[in-house]
Amino acid sequence: MNSFTAVLRKDLLLEVRGGQSTVALGALSLLVLVVLVFAFNPGGGEQGAEAAAGALWVALVFSGMLGATRAVSAESENGCIRALLISPLDRAALYAAKLAAAFIFMAVAEAASIVLMVLFFNLEFDARVMRLVPAVLLGALGFAALATLLAGISSRLRGGDLVLPLLAVPMFVPALIAGVKASAAALGGAPMGEFAVWLKVLVAFDVMFVAAGYLLFEYVAGEE
Amino acid sequence: MTAALIEARALGKSFGPTPVLRDVNLSVEAGRGAAVVGANGAGKSTLIRLLAGLSAPSPGAAMLFGEPARSLEPALRRRVGLLSHQSFLYPNLTARENLEFYATLYGVEGVRAAAIEWLERVALGAAADARVRGFSRGMEQRLALARAMLARPDVLMLDEPFAALDADGAALAAALVREAMDRGCAVLASAHSAAALEELGFAVLTLSRGKLLRAEPSAMRQSAARASLARQVS
Repeated sequence: MNSFTAVLRKDLLLEVRGGQSTVALGALSLLVLVVLVFAFNPGGGEQGAEAAAGALWVALVFSGMLGATRAVSAESENGCIRALLISPLDRAALYAAKLAAAFIFMAVAEAASIVLMVLFFNLEFDARVMRLVPAVLLGALGFAALATLLAGISSRLRGGDLVLPLLAVPMFVPALIAGVKASAAALGGAPMGEFAVWLKVLVAFDVMFVAAGYLLFEYVAGEE
Repeated sequence: MTAALIEARALGKSFGPTPVLRDVNLSVEAGRGAAVVGANGAGKSTLIRLLAGLSAPSPGAAMLFGEPARSLEPALRRRVGLLSHQSFLYPNLTARENLEFYATLYGVEGVRAAAIEWLERVALGAAADARVRGFSRGMEQRLALARAMLARPDVLMLDEPFAALDADGAALAAALVREAMDRGCAVLASAHSAAALEELGFAVLTLSRGKLLRAEPSAMRQSAARASLARQVS
């Protein structure tokens, strides 16, 4: 087993043992969708698709915030992050493992959110819902990449839990817009070309922040 | 002349305008031990953190194996063990899982066998599959010592190694440290009292308000400690 696998396995094991963030992610997604379904009172058609897409992405942002904070804060207990930083573990591998853990937590939460969205917004489990999957996965990857990098910074700050959303949400706006548009296009049955344009924006966002995190995590984590 | 594995050159550290360490010079060669003693707030933990590469000096240089401690290559980091006042253990993992995790990071051969061996060595074999969250402070300290030593480091830094240990635990820890020195490991340890480390053959250095004083004979140091205690009581 290499170091990346060891860190990822350890994070997943801690999550299975603790279970706090998966439960919190699921509960938060449910709450957001329930509130928004009552707020929008969607009737179906194009307007209903847009409302459902918006609700889904609000759930993604909130659950992503929790997931990323959890992935880094697990290392704060007993100073474990310091042990990782002075170990032979490559910091890029540490970032990659943390990103993978946050992505897995988010993907699980998003799978549940999609099911809830279909039920609450009176949609059908058909090909249009399946077209959501790449948009949601790309959004989850982008948010996990951004939030993991920022969590590395905020974990060293007093009041870091407050700093993370203040930094992450504005920076995620381009991907959020693209994700909502892609999801609305998918659910509304728009042509593939319209859907693909927004997917490309999500891919560009992911490439940029995965690369930034991979290169910068060494400098943002653990500097004292 | 033997090269120093641990070296501080005019090492200092300030937090804002407040200097915590000033002009500290020390070196520890292979197979030798140095004990830094001092009162709370003297700067012992800061010195260990600087030399472990966890904190940046301001000013001076903290060196391990002749390289700056902050920028060691992974191959050299593999040869450093640190016991901090924080245990670096995951409470929701078992003792064995914690050691297996660190053994993997440090590239130890035979991860599971090494973990079990070290659990036996620190008398925690019976608690191998118990989660660390349920451990007493002394058990956690013994496990943390095993974590620091399981890769058989060439440089060992121990911040209060005997803290929270009972007499048996302290004897066990002392034996492990002695064994590490016998195989050529350079050890830097901090402590409130130098007695246990002095018995292991450590050179004793006194840190006072961030300044490293010359090594004092044991009797003088005890006399100074008594005088300090008398001042605090009065």
